[in-house]
Parts: sequence; C-alpha cells; structure tokens
Amino acid sequence: MDYIVHLMIISSIWAILALSLNLIVGYTGLVSIAHAAFYGIGAYATAILTTSFGFGFASSLLIGVVVAMGVGLAMGLVLSKFSGDIYMIASTAFGVIAHNVFLSWDDVTNGAFGIAGVPRPTLFGTTLLENTHFLLLTLLLLLIIFLLTHIITKSSFGRVLKSIREDETAIQIFGYDTNWFKLAIFVIGAAIAAVAGSIYASYISFVDPIGFIVLEAVFILTVIVIGGLASNHGVIVGAVIFILLNELLRFIGLPDLIAGQMRQVIFGIILIALMMYRPQGLFGEYKL
Amino acid sequence: MTIFTQLLINSITVGAVYGLVALGFNLTLRSARFFNLAHGTYCVIGGYGVYWISILLGLPIWLGVLFGIAAGAIIAYLSDILIFKPMRKQNATPMTLLVASIGLFTALQAIIAIFFSSQFQSLRPHNWNYDSYTILGATITPIQILIVLTTLITAAGLYAFLTYTTFGKAIKAISDDIDVARIVGINADKTISIVFAIGGAIAAVAGIFTGFDTGIMPISGLMLVLAGITSALIGGLGNYWSGLIGALIFGIVENFGVWFIGSEWRPTIVFSLLIVFLVFRPQGLFTQ
Repeated sequence: MDYIVHLMIISSIWAILALSLNLIVGYTGLVSIAHAAFYGIGAYATAILTTSFGFGFASSLLIGVVVAMGVGLAMGLVLSKFSGDIYMIASTAFGVIAHNVFLSWDDVTNGAFGIAGVPRPTLFGTTLLENTHFLLLTLLLLLIIFLLTHIITKSSFGRVLKSIREDETAIQIFGYDTNWFKLAIFVIGAAIAAVAGSIYASYISFVDPIGFIVLEAVFILTVIVIGGLASNHGVIVGAVIFILLNELLRFIGLPDLIAGQMRQVIFGIILIALMMYRPQGLFGEYKL
Repeated sequence: MTIFTQLLINSITVGAVYGLVALGFNLTLRSARFFNLAHGTYCVIGGYGVYWISILLGLPIWLGVLFGIAAGAIIAYLSDILIFKPMRKQNATPMTLLVASIGLFTALQAIIAIFFSSQFQSLRPHNWNYDSYTILGATITPIQILIVLTTLITAAGLYAFLTYTTFGKAIKAISDDIDVARIVGINADKTISIVFAIGGAIAAVAGIFTGFDTGIMPISGLMLVLAGITSALIGGLGNYWSGLIGALIFGIVENFGVWFIGSEWRPTIVFSLLIVFLVFRPQGLFTQ
C-alpha cells in the first residue's frame, strides 16, 4: 500500500511538471529543454530555505515560485524572440547553464554533495510524516494546478497561444504582440515547475544537481509527447505511464545503474517511435 | 605572455575540433533541413570506437581510428535510413525530426554507457611519446598540430568535393532547392543518406580528437553538438566555412574564460556566448 502511495506521489509530481511544460510545448508550440532548471529552482529553494533559514514549506514554495518566475523572465526575454529550432537550442543552453549553477555555486547549493535533511511540510501544526497525508497535499496541489492550466488553456489568452502555435505571423497581423504572450506562458510554466520541485525536495528530503540535468528536461518532454501535446488530461496519463515504466524496469531486476541507462534507451526509442508514427501522442490534438 | 600564447594554442586546438563538428552539422542541416542533435553522438561513437579497438583490445591506434570513423559514418547513415528518411517521406516537420533526433541521442548515449560505462576515458595510448615543441614559451604537442592540420585538410577536401565532383554538386543542389534537384534527376533521399555518412565520419574524427586531447565520456556528445551548433550559429547557420571561424571564437572564449573565471564554470561561459550571439546577432557574423 505504501508503495502505491509512493508511486502516486511521484506520478503527481511528474504530472505537475508535465502540465507546466505542456503549456509551453503543447499549447504554444515552443519546444523548451530548459524546464529542469525551474524544477531545480523550486527544489533548491525549499531545500535551502527550510534547512538553513528555518522557513516553512509553504513560504519556501512561494519564494521558489517567485525566483523561478524571475529566472524564467530573464530566460524568456531572450527565448521569446525565437521559435522552432533556435528556441529549442537556446533553451537547451539555458538548461545546461542552470545545471552548472546548481553544481558549481557551492556556497548556496552545496555543490555536488547536495542538501540533505529537507523536512516534510507542517500544516496546521501537524507535520506530514505519513506518506498518505503527503499524498493528499500533493493531490491538492495537482488539482489546483490542473484547474489553473485548464482555465489558462480555455481562456482567450490560451486561444492566442494556440494561434501562435499554428501561425505566429498571422496572429501578429491581427495586432497581437506574440513575444509578450510567449514570455508570459514561459514564466507561468516556470512558476508551476517550481511547485513540483518544492514538493519533490520535501518528499525525498534530499536535493542534488544530478536531479536537474538536461536529460531530466528531455524526460519531461517525453512524458508530454507520450500523453499528448495540448491535452491536459493526456499529459497526466503520460506521467503515470512514465513512472510505471520506470518501476517495471526496476522489477525486472536490473542493477540500478543499468536500469537508469535502460530507461534512457527505452524513452529515447519511445520518443523516436512517436515522432515517426504518432507525433500527437495518445490524446494529443497537436503535432510538432 | 607565455600564458597568453598557451591559451591561444589551446583555443585553436579545441576550435579546430568544434570546427569539425560544425562542418558536419552544417552539411546535414543544409541538405536534410533539420537540427540533428544526434550529431554529437556520432562524435562519441568515433571516440569509443578507438577506445574499444585500441585501448581495450590493444590493437594498433590507426586501426582504432579507422574503425571509429567507419562506425561514426555507418551509425549516421543508418540513423537516416531507419529514422529520418521514412520521416522525410511523410513530410515530417523540422521540429518532429529534431525531437526524434533528441530521442536517438538519448538512446545511443545510454547504449554506449551500458557497454563502456559512463566514466571519463582518455584515448591516448600509453606508449605514445609526449615530445612537444615550444613556441614563445608555450608548449604545443604533436597531437595539437595533427588536430589543426586535419581540420584544415578536411575543410579543404570538403570544399573541393562540393565544388568539383558531380556528387558534391548534387549535394549543393539539394541544399539550395530540393524540388529542383529532384526535377533534374538527382536521387535526393539517397544523396542525403550519404551526406549523413560523410557528416558522421567528420563528427567521429572530432570525437576521436577530443579523446586524444582531453578525454571523452558518453555525455560529451551533448557538449560537442552544442559547441558545434554554437560555432555554426556564430558564423551564420548553414554556411560551411564561417562555422570554422565561429568555432575558433568559441575556442578562444572557452579557454580564456576558463582561465579568468575557473573551469567549473565552463558550461556557463561557453553557452553564455551562444545567448549573447542570439540576443545581439542572431543571424551570425557573416550573414546579412
């Protein structure tokens, strides 16, 4: 039972990540590989603020979100001028730089050693030591974020995003400043990814730079491509499939190191196969 | 003064390696019309070809080099035949092809790690003599001279091939306008597959040199392809020759930046260069 709860928590964290990246890739058509950066910012914010400065979970989460939005704004100002290939390459460069900062800014992040002993959240005087309680918090946050992404994508703002995806020049002719919309959705996506990072840090109680390498961003991309681009419920299914496949590899009994690499091989092949035969994924409404 | 000369020599050496990556990358970009991130993996395959034949099996180094280059060319050729060519036939968008190449990159990198571990490997055979020459107080090794000469010869050879041979002219025709090339009877798909093989062979040489100069690990492919793409962008995307100048600038910024700031910040230094170029001169140095 505890194992299932664990899987549900991890799936929910990935579902939040997937929902946030889907706003950028699925709805706006901008392939970003920088997303692990914001996941990491949220995780490090919670890890640093709770272990060294005595902050609570909620306040550390909010600060993480604000920092991620600030960094997202800076990156977005550069990225929004571009689309397509160059957008993707520039976002990869940002992802590499972010990982480098996590790894080398020793004074703040404790470098390669990472930060251990991140506490569980305390809500209304009780610390969520039980995984079932933690799951409830995670599901609540997932629900809020799902509703938020639902509202964003169904709003007139969301329709502008989709039209940027379909034909950026056409929507510019109608007087929309598309760069502003691309920037806005990138910052919103960054903020939501930071929430996932905060939950992750508090749940695992340990944060280190390896969790936020560029490959991690490729996995988030794979999740939303499996689930279906521009489908909010689809990417949640994608996250669950991703976590279950991971567990399956562990069940086969491969050593951890090989299992990690096999997972890379399998998700790489899945990504290729989807691009070749079903670029819209399971439930997607948009092909890259 | 000595340190300046030394840094310049090192800059030219790594610039020559990145120049090879950029050369092959531009070649496939112009004819196949998408950003092939797996290009970095072809480099790594070349390096590990040498590692397997010459280091693990102890066979002569020239055999390892030949094997590495052949492996890079064959894997690149196969990746086009098995993945990109079928996608071209379905009129896949450049973004779909790019994401498929991310999948290929992820899978191949992990396969290499499964066979050879993800550890850092130097490709220098133990019995190589380390005679080096002194210029203005700075040392230059025979390997460094070999690297620079090979890049110049490869570039000159490629120029002659594209300008004077029928097949080279066919590649140029496809790069300029694939539909017209087809109308005049060029077998575009077959030609593009061979371009992949040529690009893969050049990439493999770059990977082998990286292994000789510093060392190589499976993840090096990401850095190499990003370095090659950055060099190509600095010079102006799609221009075969200005990518070499871009690579030289990249090498200079890398070496001098690392010397001033510290090697732990290498990724941040070099990819900030990419960001700076994208902000201020996205079309590259030599494109109007």
